[in-house]
Amino acid sequence: MVKSKTIITANQHALIRLPSEGLKIVELRSGGTISLGKFGSFDVDAILGYAFGQSFEILDRSNVKPVKSLAPGLEDGEGAEEVAEAEPETEGELSKADLTSFFSTNAENNQQIIDIGSKVQSLTNQEIDELKKSGASSNIGQQIIEKIIAGHGGFDKKTIFSQQKYLRRKQQKFLRRFTVEYIGSSQLLQYYIEKDLPRVLDLSEETLGLILNYGNVRPGGKYLLVDETGGVILYAMMERMNGEGTIVLAHENEHPNHIALRYSDYPEELINQMVKPINWLQFLEPENEKIDLEILSQEEIDALKPTKQVQYEKRLKRSQDINSVIDMVQAGNFDGFISVSTLHLPSLLPEVLPAIGGSRPIVLYSQFKELLLETQHSLSNDKRVLAPSIFETRVRPYQTIIGRLHPMMTMRGFGGYVLWGTRVLPQENITAVGRGVSKKKKEESVGVESETEKPKEEGKQEVEN
Amino acid sequence: MSFFKFKDYIEEGDLVLAFISRGTIKPITVTKGALLNTRYGHYEHDKMIGLKYGEQMGGEKGYGFIHLLHPTPEMWTLSLPHRTQIVYTPDSSYIMQRLGVTSGSRIIEAGTGSASFSHSFARAIGLDGRLFTYEFHEPRYLEAKKELEGHGLVNTHITHRDVCNDGFEIEVPANFGTEVNGDVVFLDLPSPWTAIPHLPKVISKVRQVGICCFSPCIEQVAKTVEALQQNGWTNIEMVEVAGRRWEARKDMVRDIKDVVKRLKDIQSRKNQGIENRRHAKVIGEKRDHSEVLPEPSESSKVQNTGKGFNPFGKGIRIREGDEQFQWRNVTKIETEVKSHTSYLTFAYMLPERVE
Ligand SMILES: C[S@@+](CC[C@H](N)C(=O)[O-])C[C@H]1O[C@@H](n2cnc3c(N)ncnc32)[C@H](O)[C@@H]1O
Repeated sequence: MVKSKTIITANQHALIRLPSEGLKIVELRSGGTISLGKFGSFDVDAILGYAFGQSFEILDRSNVKPVKSLAPGLEDGEGAEEVAEAEPETEGELSKADLTSFFSTNAENNQQIIDIGSKVQSLTNQEIDELKKSGASSNIGQQIIEKIIAGHGGFDKKTIFSQQKYLRRKQQKFLRRFTVEYIGSSQLLQYYIEKDLPRVLDLSEETLGLILNYGNVRPGGKYLLVDETGGVILYAMMERMNGEGTIVLAHENEHPNHIALRYSDYPEELINQMVKPINWLQFLEPENEKIDLEILSQEEIDALKPTKQVQYEKRLKRSQDINSVIDMVQAGNFDGFISVSTLHLPSLLPEVLPAIGGSRPIVLYSQFKELLLETQHSLSNDKRVLAPSIFETRVRPYQTIIGRLHPMMTMRGFGGYVLWGTRVLPQENITAVGRGVSKKKKEESVGVESETEKPKEEGKQEVEN
Repeated sequence: MSFFKFKDYIEEGDLVLAFISRGTIKPITVTKGALLNTRYGHYEHDKMIGLKYGEQMGGEKGYGFIHLLHPTPEMWTLSLPHRTQIVYTPDSSYIMQRLGVTSGSRIIEAGTGSASFSHSFARAIGLDGRLFTYEFHEPRYLEAKKELEGHGLVNTHITHRDVCNDGFEIEVPANFGTEVNGDVVFLDLPSPWTAIPHLPKVISKVRQVGICCFSPCIEQVAKTVEALQQNGWTNIEMVEVAGRRWEARKDMVRDIKDVVKRLKDIQSRKNQGIENRRHAKVIGEKRDHSEVLPEPSESSKVQNTGKGFNPFGKGIRIREGDEQFQWRNVTKIETEVKSHTSYLTFAYMLPERVE
């Protein structure tokens, strides 16, 4: 079975996004029920067939109904816009009547209001139930709003925006809503960022995107990868390659760790076909590590005891796997080298570069700029990597409410750094132009070239800027 | 040459990116008899044929060199002929990552502009994906069309169209499916809010569709957000991407103790000079500097340049990283930082229930 990337489908994993910005990965078993803790639980069958990205609200007895988003009415500034028009410049105060009409415009909002209302002190559960029983009319919304306002001293005095923020906070805490998303590489990364940031070495979504693009990852490529994130990078590459191509995964243990693939819903055969693990001992000492198995003829195999036969088949398979990946590394000409690891790159790179094809990208991630700095210096005398540079990318989120667009007050500080260069094939006996001539004057006057670009080994011609 | 697959040897007719220096990458189509002229020498195309991609090539007159690179969307972005402002890799890579663009995606893009992003999209979606790109400026459209065809981007279809007035519906080429049926939309034009109402007819009705509007001004963002809301898009969020490039440099370690030693040295040499001149007057002897040099210190490396104790090489030419001196590894940010490219407004559209 091929997994669906678009429709919520049984027997697949999915990411559940909660209003509190919590994330969960669940397996959707037909007929099953999934518990979201204090948010309640829902029947899997009730969400099947909707598109990934759909939000739901939990009703009684694990039933759900589809809703537009986790927090409609407030999220996306819906309604805020109307208010902003009414109160264009000043953060004017809002009357009860305004707020009531603001939240009574559709049934969906009423539902929210009931939920919010149920948590407001002045409203007992009994009252809420009574309200609910009295039927869904805009009247209820109004009543509840009145109660909220009554139960919250000084609510009237709050500005419209802080009132919105107050309600939004309440929603996030009490709304029984969730969104079901396909587990793409961004979702998988977000999940690990939230659960275990050190595991993904501080990698951010934008840096992952940068790595995949600089690495020129595409269907049909043959890449050499070091992935210390437990398979998040591997998964991201497999997603982009869509089943075509090969990833040789170099690792430092007996077995590679790509535990994150357990959420991938990729069949075992596909993983085996695309991902070729090799440990560093096999990589660096291929001749010693190749397995020289005595190949038996069919008669010889038939003559073995059944248990021995199984054993032989296993060993044969293992030796073929290892030998073929060693052959692949020896043949070299990889379409790129991507490393997301904590290994010391200045000592690793010289071992790896010969295996990378000409004009192919070298993409090295580290959570620390200093490590890439050391690496770049180590490359300045190695003419096999052209124009290496350290890149940083950071996304700055904004509060996206019309009339109140501004950057968020805080954002993540992590995200790591990427060194990107191109593997090239240097030639002997090539002389650069203008070596020293024009620079000489400059250097004599400044002593150290602190203000000018450093003369690069690979680009002695890079004198002009 | 292809943006879908690397090859190893350069052939006639290939698009080769001649890397002359950082910031000077020249796209050439390898043509028999042609010559590449640069300020760093001349290069015959004939001699490129049969070389390996990535190879360093020496200049005709025995000096200068270039590197012959295989095109990739990232290198193309750095070397392409600008017809417009373009989207650079930090923005484009984030947009693709966030909107889940992978092999097989169907993209709607307007306007094409210099087709910087188009190349990146085309590579990522592969031969199974489809890119529908629109450009209303005719000369730009014609150039882009020629370029996309010349680069073998067979998964890309360009349409000459004002999408804000006339929408996105087209007669879809045979191997592009029956409809546009896009699942990712990217709008890089001055008034995306006028294009947004045309989208429902061309986006997928069976899956979630993501959009990114790319606008330099905050006023544009406000109008875009409004249009997105009115047209049923949800989870609207605007962000900015800051991309930075750092250079690895070396900074000389200059110890204050050495400064003091040097001052003392200068002082003693001065005194010695006065002394010597006095001597010279009296005895008529020649000056001799060697007598006055202080003992070289253990910690610092001393340059004997005939100017006495000079631990920092003052007044002489020093290469950054010269092993006679002490250095510390440092990073330096690029001289000019792209501090603002555009605001990226993201949103999503969900289909009605599908069975
Ligand atoms: C900034 S450029 C796009 C650059 C492109 N994203 C790139 O990376 O090269 C904007 C382009 O949109 C085109 N354009 C503007 N309004 C348009 C419209 N209504 N329909 C189609 N194209 C339009 C312009 O002619 C211009 O070429």
